[in-house]
Amino acid sequence: MDLGLQGKKAIVIGGARGIGYAVAEILAREGCDIALSARGEDSVKDAVAALSRYGTTVVGKAVNVKRADEYRDWLAWAIEALEGVDVLIPLSSAAGGIGSERYWTNSFETGVLGVVRAIEAVIPTMTEQQRGAIVLVASTSALEAMGGPQAYNAMKASLITYGKQLALAHGKDGIRVNVVSPGPIEFEGGNWDMIKGTMEKFYLAQLRQQPSGRLGRPEEVARAIVFLASEAASWCNGSHLVVDGGFTNRTHF
Amino acid sequence: MWDTARMDVKRVVDVIRVDPAQPGGRTPVEKAPDPELGTAVIPAERYYSEAFMKLEWERVWTKVWLLGGRADDIPEPGDYICTEIGKESVLIVRQADGSLRCFPNVCLHRGNRLRPEGIGKATEFRCMYHHWTYGLDGKIERLPDLCTFPQGGPPGMTLTSLPCTEWNSFVWFSLNPAVEPFDDFIAPLKDHLEPYHPERMAWVRDVTVEWDCNWKASVDAFNETYHVQGIHPQLLWYLDDVNVQIDCYERHNRYLIPFATISPRVAMPSQIPPAIDEIMRKAGMDPADYEGRVSDIRRDVQRFKRAHGQAQGKDYSELNDDQLTDDYHYMIFPNVALNVHADDILMFRQRPHATDPNKMLYDVWVFELVPEGEPWPERVKHRRFKHGDRSIGQVLDQDAFNLPTVQLGMRSDSFPGLWIGEQELRIRHFHKVLDDYLYGPGGKGPDDI
Repeated sequence: MDLGLQGKKAIVIGGARGIGYAVAEILAREGCDIALSARGEDSVKDAVAALSRYGTTVVGKAVNVKRADEYRDWLAWAIEALEGVDVLIPLSSAAGGIGSERYWTNSFETGVLGVVRAIEAVIPTMTEQQRGAIVLVASTSALEAMGGPQAYNAMKASLITYGKQLALAHGKDGIRVNVVSPGPIEFEGGNWDMIKGTMEKFYLAQLRQQPSGRLGRPEEVARAIVFLASEAASWCNGSHLVVDGGFTNRTHF
Repeated sequence: MWDTARMDVKRVVDVIRVDPAQPGGRTPVEKAPDPELGTAVIPAERYYSEAFMKLEWERVWTKVWLLGGRADDIPEPGDYICTEIGKESVLIVRQADGSLRCFPNVCLHRGNRLRPEGIGKATEFRCMYHHWTYGLDGKIERLPDLCTFPQGGPPGMTLTSLPCTEWNSFVWFSLNPAVEPFDDFIAPLKDHLEPYHPERMAWVRDVTVEWDCNWKASVDAFNETYHVQGIHPQLLWYLDDVNVQIDCYERHNRYLIPFATISPRVAMPSQIPPAIDEIMRKAGMDPADYEGRVSDIRRDVQRFKRAHGQAQGKDYSELNDDQLTDDYHYMIFPNVALNVHADDILMFRQRPHATDPNKMLYDVWVFELVPEGEPWPERVKHRRFKHGDRSIGQVLDQDAFNLPTVQLGMRSDSFPGLWIGEQELRIRHFHKVLDDYLYGPGGKGPDDI
């Protein structure tokens, strides 16, 4: 199956580690030019260097999506550097936490506005070219209990609603918007790697909930994201795909 | 110093430390030159031999200064601490003039113990058996029917006085009437530990556990950070067990461990680990508000405490910046381990069992800084139980868990002794100091264990 991604231009917000990096890597391997961001200068440099081996144009710069002006400039820079944009995967996401109201503002600014600002930056270009694919990344913690009632879960839920309505609004312009909700994903330096080390009982409880007895890997989610971003998913619009290895209990009718 | 890049690590970390030339605060931070202690096996027999236990009793426990308790438990005349070491028990008593005296806790008549172990208040010490009665100064005040003892009362009509002193809010005693001056014994740690002002800290935990191992197995367990990657994996997201400075002094030693940071043995996380989150909250920071990288937290906590300590009623003026986050871990020979921190002290007194080299008493003492203006909390009650009967917290449970199997393994014919690495230099140093007490300085012979 040809994904039809050769020569496409993709922006990955939060593309230096974990699922974001795995997405960028598959896109690069499929022949996409890529602009990626992360908060840390070093991690962006490392990611750009590693992805350049696939032979496409890969550019990156550090940016904090909470700083609206700098972020807007970054997005304009990325579209200009790529000379357009066909694919947007905004993965910016704040840490979960309970107790401080700051978790709400953080989750809103990073997890919601960080996504919204990127979408608003690419829509004019995509509308003009009558072509584009956006994949939002929510979470199974929007669907079922996870770590107690918290901003992270609620803000992720908002992306599912927002994604569907974007699809309805921009489908006429050839822009598809889909949402992927991953379950717990483990990778070195990731949150579940730390939880495995620091809260072993909680980690083991998650393993027991996974029918296959393990957590997911970044590339297992990234492949689903890239599929939805590709020409191969031309009839997927406004869909919400749960990619969790069967972690959630509910039936996704 | 070992090569951190060649160890089992994921990253090489260059730890920011205070400048030894100008550390700020009083505690010296410069690295002491490592002693040349060789690579010999430390014989396992030391941990179970009754003959060796007897030698330790004769040449260490009855010779050195020993930690007795907290001075603030006995502020008023008549307040006393009754504490045991091996087969002996002593009374440390606050005198009318505010000074301290220490006596063997034994009636001169038929040998009965005058008081059970613990703290208390007395106007006199009366033996329950025949009511021989001693004053706070140890003198016999009443000896019923003295006229029926043709030989008179015991010599001087008094309990023997043992050396005792008070330092840094703790009381110390010795079973050795000719013990060296305390200041000579404790050197050079006065400058190291006084800046923490333990007298501003209150009891929050006082537990004694009978552990099924030799007391030295416990001393060893706390004298190296190499075991963190083994039995405390969760601490790898809390402290740097690789970049540890070890300093060996004449008798005592220490290591300095960066806290509020991530071990080079694990990948740097992007989110704040739970235990570091707690450090930030305790300092008065809101982790949700933190915009820096996880690797910057240690330094930022130091800066925050430096800036806000005074307003929180916490005087850190005699401590350097590293001390505001890190664990300065001291071992006072022969049996006291202290994790000293700006806001608390977690310490262990490790006592030999009276008769069995395979058992010991593990005292856990925890003190927390009482901010100025806040009420002094009520003293916690002492609790005592046996190995494994109750949890003493995740980390100490992990430490305790395998000590009985260590003790069992020591007795195997297939185990000649401890195979010690550079990260465990303090263990080697402790055993060398012990050797010098047991066999005379440098006097350990080829047949000595």
